[in-house]
Amino acid sequence: MSARASSSADREVLITRIINAPRDLVFAAWVDPKHADKWMGPVGYTTVTRSMDVRPGGMWRFTMSGPQGVFPSRVTYIEVVKPSQLVYRHGADRDDDPDAFDVTVTFEDLGDKTHITMRSVFPSVAARDKVVKEFKAIEGGYQTLERLEKHVQAGG
Amino acid sequence: MLATSLDATFAALADPTRRAILARLAEGDASVLELAEPFAMSQPAISKHLKVLERAGLIERGRDAQRRPCRLVAGPLKEVVEFAQGYRQFWDQSFDRLDDYVQKLHAKGRKNVRKSKQQR
Repeated sequence: MSARASSSADREVLITRIINAPRDLVFAAWVDPKHADKWMGPVGYTTVTRSMDVRPGGMWRFTMSGPQGVFPSRVTYIEVVKPSQLVYRHGADRDDDPDAFDVTVTFEDLGDKTHITMRSVFPSVAARDKVVKEFKAIEGGYQTLERLEKHVQAGG
Repeated sequence: MLATSLDATFAALADPTRRAILARLAEGDASVLELAEPFAMSQPAISKHLKVLERAGLIERGRDAQRRPCRLVAGPLKEVVEFAQGYRQFWDQSFDRLDDYVQKLHAKGRKNVRKSKQQR
């Protein structure tokens, strides 16, 4: 893990976000299927949880359906620290998906708000590109220079 | 894509003038003179920016010796965009929905707390 972390800059994606609700609630929204199904996935998608077992070694199996297709997915929890951190492996819903990537989500308590930091580390640059492409396909968005400019201006 | 070439692309994109030049070229090819026009900049200053963009592989210069029109090269830009944007957008949109959803939950929770306090 440490060898991976030492040279993972080109294989990781960092996303941060402030959510306007207290941390306990935001954390609950990640670990309770009745909540998670309500927000997971881009606009136009529905997420249906098939099973969720939030503890190290446990899995969240869900299917996302939308305009670009149906995506059976699997999250396998590695670490669960309520209500501040989730570490999990995210991939297709099959055993040993070679492109599965490791995600660390931290929830920082800001009173009425919560700061989410999400670090995704892919097993290789090729896997990163493949997964990013798949997510792009799911998202179905058409990329423009303006978007790129915003992204770069935002320090991405 | 190698990290080093991604670095070169990001470095070239770090300057607002160069991004504006690329945005202009996205609409069609243009000469140095045409590119210099909207900016309060000399032609040599614009030429310097063009060299950086050319070295990063973001633009190509035409062979026409007089005009040497600049053309956008989509490849590296696409790589940068695809580097993370699909994934980012997936989560940006999910987080928008999460934000809406938990705010509603939070408001509902407060109402319920008030209700149960009144009942006591």
